[in-house]
Amino acid sequence: MNTQFAIFVFLALATLIGAASVALSRNIFWSAMGLLSCLVGVGGLYVMLSADFVAITQLLVYIGGVLVLILFAIMLTSQIQEISVSNRSVGLVGGYLIFFVVSTLLSFVALWAPWRLTSKEPVANTTVALGDGLLGTWLLPFEIASVLLVATLVGAIVIARKEVKSDS
Amino acid sequence: MTITQFNIASASWFRPELALTAGILLLFLLDVLVRKQSRYRVAVLTVAALACVGVAAALLAFQPVESRAMFNGMIASDPFATFWKWLFLGAAALTVLIAARSDEFPSPRIGVFYALLLSVVLGMFLMATSLDLLMLYLAIEMVSLPSYAIAGYKPGDRRAAEASLKYVIYGGVASGIMLFGLSYIYGLVGSTNLTALGVRLESLAAPASAGGQLGLRVALMVAVIFVLCGIGYKIAAVPWHMWCPDVYEGAPTPFVAFLSVGPKAAGFALAVRVFYSFLASGGGPEGFARGLADVPWPAVVGVLSAVTMTLGNLSALHQNNLKRLLAYSSISHAGYALMGLAAASQLGVQSVMIYMLVYLVMNLGAFLAVIAIAQATGSETIADCNGLSRRHPLLAVTFAVFLFSLTGLPPLAGFVGKWYLFVAVLSHYAGDGGAWYVTLAVIAALNTAISLYYYVRIIRAMFIEAPAGELVVRPRVSYQIMLGTFSAALLLFGVWWNPLIEWTQASLTFLTRG
Repeated sequence: MNTQFAIFVFLALATLIGAASVALSRNIFWSAMGLLSCLVGVGGLYVMLSADFVAITQLLVYIGGVLVLILFAIMLTSQIQEISVSNRSVGLVGGYLIFFVVSTLLSFVALWAPWRLTSKEPVANTTVALGDGLLGTWLLPFEIASVLLVATLVGAIVIARKEVKSDS
Repeated sequence: MTITQFNIASASWFRPELALTAGILLLFLLDVLVRKQSRYRVAVLTVAALACVGVAAALLAFQPVESRAMFNGMIASDPFATFWKWLFLGAAALTVLIAARSDEFPSPRIGVFYALLLSVVLGMFLMATSLDLLMLYLAIEMVSLPSYAIAGYKPGDRRAAEASLKYVIYGGVASGIMLFGLSYIYGLVGSTNLTALGVRLESLAAPASAGGQLGLRVALMVAVIFVLCGIGYKIAAVPWHMWCPDVYEGAPTPFVAFLSVGPKAAGFALAVRVFYSFLASGGGPEGFARGLADVPWPAVVGVLSAVTMTLGNLSALHQNNLKRLLAYSSISHAGYALMGLAAASQLGVQSVMIYMLVYLVMNLGAFLAVIAIAQATGSETIADCNGLSRRHPLLAVTFAVFLFSLTGLPPLAGFVGKWYLFVAVLSHYAGDGGAWYVTLAVIAALNTAISLYYYVRIIRAMFIEAPAGELVVRPRVSYQIMLGTFSAALLLFGVWWNPLIEWTQASLTFLTRG
C-alpha cells in the first residue's frame, strides 16, 4: 500500500464519516462538525484529482464561508440543542430496505461500470484553463448562473424580510 | 471561427433571452424607484412587465427559422424551441395580467414578483433549448429557485411558508438526484453535449468482460432513471408529485396558475430533447424505441403515464378544496401528456405540443375562475361554488367550459388535444407491443371517465345547488374579459383545429444529434 492510497482512504473515510454524522447525529452542533469533516475530505479529494482551483474554492467558500455561517447561526440561536423533534423517523423498515437496495446498486455501478479513465497528471496550475473556459466555451452557463444568483438572492430577501407569524 | 467569435455571433440569435434578462434587471430597479405609496405603482410595474414580454415576443418573431447550435453547443435555436418560447411568453403575459388585478400580491411586493416571474420564464426558455447537461441543470434550477421564493410569497401565512419549504426540500432532493445521474453519464462518456452523447454512447467500446457489460447497462439504467427524477419532478409525474397539492394550496393562486402550465410545459420540452437525443439510439423520435441499455424506455414512460393519470385522478375524487383538486387534476394531465412521449414518434411529439398548448388556455382559465370565486367568498372550496350560475352566470358558464375542456369533451379544444394523444398511441396497435399501447389507451379512456366525475361535482354545485346567503359575486372587468376570451378560444379551436396542427407540424424540426 503506497502513501497516496493511504491518503485517499483517509480522506474518503473523513468524508463518509462526516456525511453520516451530519445525517445521524442528534446534536446539531456535532452535525455541523461532521459537515466540516465532510467538506475538508472532499476538498482533499479535489487536490488528489489535481483540481487545485476547485479545492481552494471549496476551502474558501464552503469551509471558510458557509460552514462558519452555519456555526454562527447555531451558536446565536438560543435553545437549539433542546429542540423537540416533531417528525420522528417513520417507516424505518422501508427506509432501511431502500437504503440497502440503493447503496448496493450504486456500489455495483461504481465498481463495475466502465468509467472513462484519464491519465493522472501532476498538479499543474489549472486557473488559466478555468478562466479561459468560463469566458469561452462555458460563457453562457457562467452568465446564466449570475442571473440565477441575482434572482434567487432577491427572492430570498423578499420572503425573509417579514417574519412568518404563527397562526394562533 | 474562434470560440469568442462564435459566442458573439450566437448573441444575435439570443435576443429574446437578452430582452428578458434586461427586463428582470429593469423590474428590480423600477421596484425600488417607483414610490411604495404611489397610486400608479401597480399600473406602472404591470405595464413595464408586459412591455418586457412584448419586446421579447417581437424579437422572437424575427428569430430565424433554421436550426443552429449556439454558444458552443450549449443551447439550440430551432423551430421546436421557438414554439415553446411562444407558449411560455403567452403564459407569462397572461399571468402578469391576472396577478395585476389579484388581491394576493400587495402593491409593495408586486414588482419583485414580476421580476422573479420573468426569471422563471428565462429559465423555461433555456430548458426548452438546452443541448448540454450543464445548461440543462442550470435551466431547471433557474425555473425552480425563484419559484420556491414566490411559493412562500404571502407574508405571515403559515400555509405559504409550508408550501415554500416543502417545495424547496422536494426540489432540492430531486435536482440532487438528477445531478448525480448526470455525473454518471459524464463519467461514462466524457462529454456533456446532448447532441454528442447519443453517438458516443453507441460507440462506447463494449468492455470485454461480462461483468463490464452488465456494469455498463446498470450504470446507464441508474443514470437515466436519476435524470428522469429531475424531469418527473418538474412535470409533477407520479412518484415525484407529492409537493404538488401542498404547494398549489399555499402559493399565491395567480402564480399557481402559471406553475401548473409553464414549468410543466418546459419539463415536457426538455423531456423531448433528452429522450430523443441520447436515449434515441438511431436519432429521431423513432430511434428512442430501440432503447439504450436494452431497456424499452417508451414502455417505462408508458407505465409512468398510466400510474400518473390514475393516481392523480383517484386522489382528486375526494378533494373539496378547488386548488387541491386542480393540483391533482394537473398531475393527471401530466399523465395524459406522457402518453405522447410513450408513443415515441413524430406524431407523439406533436400531440404533446398540441396538448400543452390547449392545456395552457384551459388550466389558466380554470384557475382564473377559482381566483374570481375566492375574491368574492374569501375561500376556495367546492361549496363556495354553490349557486354560482344564479349569482354570476358568465363566471359559472365559462368555468364549466374550462372543466368540460379539461375532461376532453367535444366540441372543446381539450377534446382535440386528447384526440391527438390517443391517435399517437393507437397508431402503434399493429406494431411491436401493440397490445400494450392499446392497454394504455384504454386506461386513459377510463381515466377520462373518472375525471368527468370530479369535474362535474363542481359544475353540479354551480348550477344545481342553492346559493348560501346573499353574496354578491362581481369579478373584475379584466377577469371577465379574459374568462370570455379563453372560453371563446377553446370553443373556436375545438371546431377549427387546423391552425394548431399546422403550427405544431411546422415546429417539429429540432436538433437531436450532431
